[in-house]
Amino acid sequence: MKMKLSVLHAAILAATLAVPASSVQAGLPFFTSDKQEMPSLAPMLDKATPAVVHISVEGSREVRQRIPDALRHFFGQRGQGELRQERPFSGLGSGVIIDAAKGYIVTNNHVVQDADKIQIKLKDGRSFAAKKLGADPQSDIALLQIEAKNLVQIPLADSDKLRVGDYAIAVGNPFGLEQTVTSGIVSSLGRSGLNMDGFEDFIQTDAAINSGNSGGALLNLRGELIGINTAILGPSGGNVGIGFSIPSNMMKSLVDQILEFGEVRRGSLGIRGNDVNSELTEALNLDVSRGAFVNEVIPGTAAAEAGLKAGDVIISMNGNRIQSFNELRAKIATLGAGRKAELGILRDGKERKVQVTLQQLTAAPVTANQLHPMLQGATLNNSSQGVEITELASGSIAEQVGLRQGDVIVGVNRQRVTDLSELRQILAGSQGVAALYIRRGKEDLYILLR
Amino acid sequence: MSGNQTTAVRNFLFFILKSVAYGLALALVILLFLPNVTGISLPSWRSNAEQAEPPPVSYARAVRLAAPAVVNVYTRSRVIDPRGFQPRSIERQELGSGVIMSAKGYILTNHHVVSGADHIEVALQDGRWLEAVLIGQDVISDLAVLYVEADNLPVIPQDTELDPQVGDVVLAIGNPLNLGQTITQGIISANGNNGLSSRGYIDFMRMDAAINKGNSGGALVNTNGTLVGINAAAFQLQNQEIQGIFFAVPYQLAQNIMHKLIKHGRVTRSHLGVSGDAVVNAAGDRLVSTGQKMYGLALTAINPGGPADEADLRVGDVILKIAGEQFSDTRQALNLIAETAPNTELMLTIDRNGQILEVPTIVRELRRG
Repeated sequence: MKMKLSVLHAAILAATLAVPASSVQAGLPFFTSDKQEMPSLAPMLDKATPAVVHISVEGSREVRQRIPDALRHFFGQRGQGELRQERPFSGLGSGVIIDAAKGYIVTNNHVVQDADKIQIKLKDGRSFAAKKLGADPQSDIALLQIEAKNLVQIPLADSDKLRVGDYAIAVGNPFGLEQTVTSGIVSSLGRSGLNMDGFEDFIQTDAAINSGNSGGALLNLRGELIGINTAILGPSGGNVGIGFSIPSNMMKSLVDQILEFGEVRRGSLGIRGNDVNSELTEALNLDVSRGAFVNEVIPGTAAAEAGLKAGDVIISMNGNRIQSFNELRAKIATLGAGRKAELGILRDGKERKVQVTLQQLTAAPVTANQLHPMLQGATLNNSSQGVEITELASGSIAEQVGLRQGDVIVGVNRQRVTDLSELRQILAGSQGVAALYIRRGKEDLYILLR
Repeated sequence: MSGNQTTAVRNFLFFILKSVAYGLALALVILLFLPNVTGISLPSWRSNAEQAEPPPVSYARAVRLAAPAVVNVYTRSRVIDPRGFQPRSIERQELGSGVIMSAKGYILTNHHVVSGADHIEVALQDGRWLEAVLIGQDVISDLAVLYVEADNLPVIPQDTELDPQVGDVVLAIGNPLNLGQTITQGIISANGNNGLSSRGYIDFMRMDAAINKGNSGGALVNTNGTLVGINAAAFQLQNQEIQGIFFAVPYQLAQNIMHKLIKHGRVTRSHLGVSGDAVVNAAGDRLVSTGQKMYGLALTAINPGGPADEADLRVGDVILKIAGEQFSDTRQALNLIAETAPNTELMLTIDRNGQILEVPTIVRELRRG
């Protein structure tokens, strides 16, 4: 009996010993006693930072300069008020190794755009020439490859699991300095609207990001990649605590497409719509204040096949909340053609799930200032008759020259235009002046672009 | 028989309690002196704990608690266009943030956000837009109180006993550049003057969480989501770009001002019309050494015609008590005076050349400018 008791004694003692000990283990690194080490990101960074590389590029790009009216006389009329020049340029940026065995490096498209030579410098001092495997200007992602041994890669985090308030650490080469680490938190998620043409679903962070950080890594506390640092907003061009990063999930689906097809095959759902706002909530008696409202479902598209209807509110995609129409648009476009997605929708006050298989966006809506400077503010799309202006920013140059939303461009300079590629071709050869033949409802008219 | 049983049960319980107590005591000793031993002595337990990965450190909880109570403030006003030859009235829009302080609909924001506005609207994070009424404003503390009529308002967590320390992690919540709600992180760089004698920005709390145009009037919270201050401004010097120094109105001051504005519509501060220095010991030695209590406030200048002059106070007098209350620093003395209603008689206890006197003094309202 005495023996039995002392065994029991020992067991209870051991158990109580173990309980407080383990609860200390679960403690956060930020609540430490004097006896423990100082909290530091250094152990995590030792593993992660060798995977962030320095990128330098050289190339030449066409520079357009407007000639002041007073000087136009000297340049003659052929310039049409614009001076075009090929100018050599060099640039700096950062990149992230995401596959050490194959040498894949992700960076921003704007870092390597128009580059003839891309040079990668690793943290250990080695230097390699890189090959560009593919890029997507609208989402600002590019994939490079180098042939090198003993590379280090960064594991990817599931960026859909991020919460506002999570720590975020930026690693890159600001101002061409040696590798620099800055820290902050996730300030906001699903940010868009910086560049209307782009597909944006940014993580916003207050970790200092500066010129040269572009293409660099945004990490979580585990040293996993949560984003690719891309842009900042600041009145003077420097950091004011507002930086933007492309989420790792979006980057991954773009990279997968580049690897599979050599290009990005944009996914298309086939809806038009806008953000849910308070007026809409009131008018339609909706229960939600965030989401993407479906105005119109285009027949024959993925959305129509899946049974989406005008008036539906899309509130989630693959289990993650959708805050705005732009966020949905970016997620659909970058997920890629042929992929499946589960949409959570709200219809007649009831939530339901809908499976969609994304189609390929055949003709991406083109913002027109790429075609002609006077078309700035118009979004063009192929239609059955020609090229339709599907959106027109109010107050834009395109509106000022007399274009209206819904106008269909059927001809340019007495040549018939059936689609965007024809329009692009003719405008490229038109030396600046173009007479657009427009069909507006039942009337036809000419609008002159200079 | 049953008595025997009870004793046995009691003995057994005592035995277990004793074991638990020994175990806990031993665990405490081991943890205190050998903090690293846990990994070695209990490998099986640790590996179990690691399988269920601990959540990463995050301020998401604080954000969830506090962020819904921070609103976007939009104002419109008509001003005279300073450009151009003909005076012309144009509409000016201003942007800011605000903090819902009570379910009754009182919102704190900055004076500079709503000053001169003809029309104020606030946008809640749940999508509601509400028209706001200006209840009162105070230039010195750069605060204003708005009122909205609505149900189910999210209120910012508050703690009247809050004692923020320099080095505490803080989160700034607001709507910078009208991007939409944004959270930035930093630490308290310097604690401000919590009292009514605060002279404005130079006495505010300083912190390094990035704030920009549009953050003004937004919340500064700690890692529990509790309100620490109202974000007000960035430190600026002409022709210099300065980053990492930002001002916030300390919470204690902000709520004090808010109550005064709700009650009276404006804030009054009283003054004596004196300048003074802290005296640390009765001998009049002003050398500050730790551990020594403040003796009093020695007057170095007296404004002619001011309240102190009227009461016949003199340079060299040392104020020991204000209305019978002792004070431990100059700031506290100034706060005692500022908090007194204007035109009230205060009994000052002074030391004039070693003689202790009681001097009745009528304090007057401090007028700015």
